[in-house]
Amino acid sequence: MKVTIKSWTGVATWRWVANDDTCGICRLAFDGCCPDCKLPGDDCPLVWGQCSHCFHIHCIMKWLNSQPVHHQCPMCRQEWKFKE
Amino acid sequence: MGDVENQQDLNDLWKYVCHLFPILCHENDDENRQDCTGDELNIMQRIVSEGQEALVEELVLNEIETKLRRDIVPTFWHHFSDSDVTIRGLEGFKGAVDSLYDSLSTLVPLLQTLELLRQTAQSAREVYGQLSLMETFKVMVRASLHSQLPLNYQAITEDFYRISFRVFCNSENKETDQNESAEDIVQCAGCSLEIEFCQCQSIIEAFHDINGKLQELDLLERLAGDVLTTMIHKRIENHVQETCKGSFDVSHIGSLEVWLDTVVMGWLSRIYSSGSFGFRESENKASLSTGETLSKMKQTLRHFLYETYTRTRIDQLFNIIIEYPDSEPAVEDLRICLLKTDLRQHLTLKLQRALETRLLHPGVNTPDILTAYVAAIRALRTLDPSGVLLDTVTQPVRQYLRWRDDTVRCVVTSLTEEGPSELAEELSRGEALQLDDLTPSEEDTKNWETWNPDPVDADPSKTSQSRRTSDIISMLVNVYGSKDLFVNEYRTLLADRLLSSLNYNTDKEIRYLELLKLRFGESQLHYCEVMLKDIYDSKRINTHLHSDTNFNLDNQEFAITAMILSAQFWPHFNKETLELPEFVQEHLNTYTKAFETLKGNRTLSWKPQLGSVNLDIELKDRKINLTVSPIHATIIWHFQTKNQRSIEELSQIMHAPATLVRRKITYWQSQGLLHEIGPDLFELVEESGPRVKGHIPSEIVCDDEETESAMASAQEQREEELQVFWSYIVGMLTNLDSMPLERILQMLKMFALQGPTTIEVGLQELRHFLDRKVAEEKLLFYGGVYRLPKS
Repeated sequence: MKVTIKSWTGVATWRWVANDDTCGICRLAFDGCCPDCKLPGDDCPLVWGQCSHCFHIHCIMKWLNSQPVHHQCPMCRQEWKFKE
Repeated sequence: MGDVENQQDLNDLWKYVCHLFPILCHENDDENRQDCTGDELNIMQRIVSEGQEALVEELVLNEIETKLRRDIVPTFWHHFSDSDVTIRGLEGFKGAVDSLYDSLSTLVPLLQTLELLRQTAQSAREVYGQLSLMETFKVMVRASLHSQLPLNYQAITEDFYRISFRVFCNSENKETDQNESAEDIVQCAGCSLEIEFCQCQSIIEAFHDINGKLQELDLLERLAGDVLTTMIHKRIENHVQETCKGSFDVSHIGSLEVWLDTVVMGWLSRIYSSGSFGFRESENKASLSTGETLSKMKQTLRHFLYETYTRTRIDQLFNIIIEYPDSEPAVEDLRICLLKTDLRQHLTLKLQRALETRLLHPGVNTPDILTAYVAAIRALRTLDPSGVLLDTVTQPVRQYLRWRDDTVRCVVTSLTEEGPSELAEELSRGEALQLDDLTPSEEDTKNWETWNPDPVDADPSKTSQSRRTSDIISMLVNVYGSKDLFVNEYRTLLADRLLSSLNYNTDKEIRYLELLKLRFGESQLHYCEVMLKDIYDSKRINTHLHSDTNFNLDNQEFAITAMILSAQFWPHFNKETLELPEFVQEHLNTYTKAFETLKGNRTLSWKPQLGSVNLDIELKDRKINLTVSPIHATIIWHFQTKNQRSIEELSQIMHAPATLVRRKITYWQSQGLLHEIGPDLFELVEESGPRVKGHIPSEIVCDDEETESAMASAQEQREEELQVFWSYIVGMLTNLDSMPLERILQMLKMFALQGPTTIEVGLQELRHFLDRKVAEEKLLFYGGVYRLPKS
């Protein structure tokens, strides 16, 4: 007997490759979306800082905008720089 | 000397009196009667001048009464008591009434003379509360008759009136359908004698005669009233039953009223208006009272008719409801009748009982219950627009539905079902969903004039507004009191559908989702929206990955497409494990790499048990093409390397539970590719010999996997959600030692339930959860409080 697979439709779930499950700012899952968004994934991406912490982009932007002088990572208080 | 003269005078006078009133003299007074001569008027004047008129009157009346009691009445009743069944009825009753009438007639002259005496003396006094002597006489007759009432007299009167009513009805019918010649009928329908000897005419005559006589004596009501009433009631009941049989699509009120007016009232008025003989004093007065009696009777009978009709309809109400849109006339009838009768309570009880016996037991399918419930909602809404009736009657149905496991699933399925489904129709009407906990709106001040109070049996804790406005879908959702359950169930259903069809075509689902959004609100169905978008995105990603040559997907031996889901928004998947063949896994890994390149920082975790596979299977003598699930594909894949494998072996290679493998392998048995050669040992069938083919059907276990859901059941999900609270509860009990249920819930609400993902927890649910923990010995329950076991 010989079995030949002609096509395979699989089911998978996607997830972010990050060092945590939840966003440190909104405490919601990375794989979900920030409180202001409706759709996860492309519409509500993650960003990494040079300190290796990551957040929902909308969350960290909100945080940075609320900081008057120094832009610090809310987790480690280092200066916040986006990882290239 | 004067005394003697006086005595002589009195003796003379007595003779005259006796002459006037023969009833006073007895047999031995014969000589007195003979030599009495003289003018009546003179005698009367003498009596009056002696001042004896009162005494005479009293004597005469006394004598009449004695005669009545001693002779006439016993003779009358005698007719009733000794006659046996065969000859009673018409003849018996007629004879009795005739003889009574005759003997009473003999007394009439006496009364007339007495009346004359009264006029001469110009005296008027009441005897037995009646001014006129004739009335007094009638009172006496009635009193004597009643004082000697035998027990069984009604049987005879009833017989009599039944026969006459039948004759009457028959003649009525004859008038209406004369052209229908019925020559083959030998018996007359009226008197049940042969047609040639039909006595209908004579019966009717006798009937009128008797009624006339009784009416004159004012005895009709007393003697036959009861019988008449019961008979007519029975007749009405029969007629109503006959009319209502089976047909709910015609309104009967009109025809029933006409029937009452023409047939029944016609008969009654003939009874009451027949005859006018000597006993009647004033024609006008009598006919006036007859008219009054008739109209009074008509009112009572009409009420009775309505009541009977209503009762009959109430008995049939369950069937009426089941057939609802067709049975609208019956419902409308019932609505009108309920306004005229006081049978609401009866209706509620009856219908509830009918529902309980016919609907609310394990033998009925949930979809059927739901259909009946929807029909009931519609029918009862028509019956009682205020919705109170609906609320009370369907209470047990709702309770029962809450108890059934598959209710939610059934509702959701029928909501989104294709084809003619009432609920789907209802859904597409698209109104916003209203729940019970709607805040009472301000009373509409513009319409205050049309305001009506709620019926007495209304539940005062609910606003009439909420009862009136809630529609069918809201009613169904309200069975559980929360939208969440329905939304979750819909989510599971949607997930199942999307993952089983796997064709990326979501147009239909989007349409339903839009309709549901109108009902349940955007926020509740947000998750479902993401799910549909996942499918849409997956399609795009697949095309993109396959079209871009950088990803090397085209060089693979078979094409891989994927459904890429956002796990957070989908229901929990069943935790089934499956190890795919390495060959396949490599392909999947390539796909994952392609995905990772496309979307930086994201990766895929495959759900190996989900999806579908298209296979070509080449055997020695045939080639088959099949589309199967991954687990089926894996099973048959492993038979390539080895012709015989046991369940245990497969289970180890595939990392799947043996029971699952055992269940899935039946599919290949039914396809005739595998054959069980020993317990749990299977062999590949390379050549389909006749032996195997004949062997197949008996062994095949029906493959029921189509109905299997890839999702964890709603209950399992719920359990998982509650599990989140367990750590809170343990913390609470560690600090506070012991707590009652209410306090635990309160604490949970204060601390644990305030997150962004609010989960509703009811007291019952929590009790359930904690009770299970008690059963698992993780908790102690003693004296109404929960505590942790001492470890």
